[in-house]
Amino acid sequence: MSQSLRPYLQCVRSSLTAALSLSNFASQASERHNVPEIEAASCPEVLLNPLTVSRNENEKVFIEPSINSVRISIRIKQADEIEHILVHKFTRFLTQRAEAFFILRRKPVKGYDISFLITNFHTEEMLKHKLVDFIIQFMEEVDKEISEMKLFLNARARFVAESFLTPFD
Amino acid sequence: MLLLDYQNVLIESLLKDRFSGGSPPASIDQVVSDFDGVTFHISTPEVKTKILVSISVKCFPELVQYGAEAVLEREYGPYIVAPESGYDFSVLVDLENLPDDQEAKDDLVRRISLLKRNAMAAPFEQAFDEFHQLQEEASKYTSESAPQGVLEGGQTRAIHYREEEAIYIKASHDRVTVIFSTVFREETDRIFGKVFLQEFVDARRRAIQNAPQVLFRNEPPLELQNVPGINNSGSGEIGYITFVLFPRHLTMQRRAEVISHIQTFRDYFHYHIKASKAYIHSRMRRRTADFLQVLRRARPESDDKERKTASGRTFKVQS
Amino acid sequence: MATLNWRTINIDALDPESPANFDLSTLTPAVAPVSTADVQALAGQIRQLLRGGDSEGALQGALENPPYGADERGKDVHLATIIEILQSIRQADMSPMLGRLYKAPGGTEALDVLMKYIYKGMAHTSAPSTATKITPQPTGFSQVHSSRSGEGGGQAMSVLLSWHEKLVEIAGPGCIVRVMTDRRTV
Repeated sequence: MSQSLRPYLQCVRSSLTAALSLSNFASQASERHNVPEIEAASCPEVLLNPLTVSRNENEKVFIEPSINSVRISIRIKQADEIEHILVHKFTRFLTQRAEAFFILRRKPVKGYDISFLITNFHTEEMLKHKLVDFIIQFMEEVDKEISEMKLFLNARARFVAESFLTPFD
Repeated sequence: MLLLDYQNVLIESLLKDRFSGGSPPASIDQVVSDFDGVTFHISTPEVKTKILVSISVKCFPELVQYGAEAVLEREYGPYIVAPESGYDFSVLVDLENLPDDQEAKDDLVRRISLLKRNAMAAPFEQAFDEFHQLQEEASKYTSESAPQGVLEGGQTRAIHYREEEAIYIKASHDRVTVIFSTVFREETDRIFGKVFLQEFVDARRRAIQNAPQVLFRNEPPLELQNVPGINNSGSGEIGYITFVLFPRHLTMQRRAEVISHIQTFRDYFHYHIKASKAYIHSRMRRRTADFLQVLRRARPESDDKERKTASGRTFKVQS
Repeated sequence: MATLNWRTINIDALDPESPANFDLSTLTPAVAPVSTADVQALAGQIRQLLRGGDSEGALQGALENPPYGADERGKDVHLATIIEILQSIRQADMSPMLGRLYKAPGGTEALDVLMKYIYKGMAHTSAPSTATKITPQPTGFSQVHSSRSGEGGGQAMSVLLSWHEKLVEIAGPGCIVRVMTDRRTV
């Protein structure tokens, strides 16, 4: 299972590095305004072709580049109900702290679990390769965390059940 | 703090303190709450040496219907007094008339702190007695020729100890079935509950061979089909957890322990669900903080832009 | 007065100069229209090459004639052909073949087209299943449905991912940028 993880992350890394070439671009519609074009989408010519990197139907990354901003949406693997809840809670925790995270988008794109919005201002003040590192690490950690929490929950449930039923023995 | 205590710890410690006679009697007036909405009132109404312990249970009339009075009479005989107003049952202990030996005193403390458990034990004891009776009757026949009444078992006793939740006890000739109906308001709670209950169901198969059989459903089980008051809305909010107690759990010497233990099930279950939710939340918070830290690393280090002028004054450059 | 609420008229749609009316096709260089039948004929030829064992020739042929002008179905057909070719080539052969393709004249163009197909393949094989939500299972345990298409898709994904890696090694990240900016989509 994890043997396809490394090429998947490598692919995401190289796609991101390519997509994160952003430059400042003032809005064409309103004077003295500067908007992330991928969000405003007012002019079709500044939007580039979106890319999808996927490992299977349940895990993919959708990259939508434009001239001054990139939107990265991630769909995290959720095999069953309990993982579904854990992912939902976890992404809620993150999106509620979106201000501290700068690059996080408060609402994920439809069909995905979490979205990032990176603009040229972010790439100007943060190191680009570190940004990419962060996103890759994020993807790894989230998967690991979800499976750890699920394991913990199962272990605890087992322990609880056994300690309740032992006195009946 | 894994298993819940059967007795009420506050009452126990208070009484032990008073009984030990170390300190002079002082007046007490406390309202203590217990699980399932049960409240105790411990006070010294007339004189400081007489302690009144009263309990109020939501479903007391039902318990009386199932013979609670007899059980309480058996446990607390000489100490029972008329119930205090607003409460269902009261026990009066005279500090000057305590039994002499320490063991008897401890026993009294223990029995009083088990007041809730004893009040709720009546229907269980009735069902267990019925089981023994049915077992005896059934042993006279083979399983095919047993008359219908013996096969079906006794009536189902319902105890509505909480709003919307109840315990149902039914005795048969070879087992006693205890059914808990529990309500989960939120979807997430339901799923956590399902994970925990799956483990309960599996524990018998996997580790503890002698444990009672546990079953879980969202619809009322067959035994409850003709019991009034069952809310069969099918919304999925109400779950039914069935414990099947086998003869080896129902012997005379095990009976008291089994009754105490099974009463604590619902609270134990909910407590552990909440505890794991809290742990998961704190873990997520920690992970979020970790991510934040990693992101901060992405910002290039800005060296302290402190400069000095020729005369030695230091000032910071506005970044 | 007209019954139409004049405040709600979408002035941008009526303005000939506005970006909403910008004809995107002027941005792309002219592409010759290709019919689905042509694409299928090409696919047939390529499959023959494949069966003959000449996977490099098949790949080259597929990459030299991307049906930019075809409609959706034609493009899908070509995509399926290319995925078939990619799945048939062994791991060990990938890098040398890519190297040879790169050195051949028109190599960068061909590798760009390959990159486009890799991304399209990844987008496509996941598209049919994204429509279905995760249905809540009766137990808390995972019940993975391994349908035929799911398994085939998963395998194709790892093939595409390894091709992507090798391709980036040879052609560099510029290849990815060209995929993003080229308006002629496969």
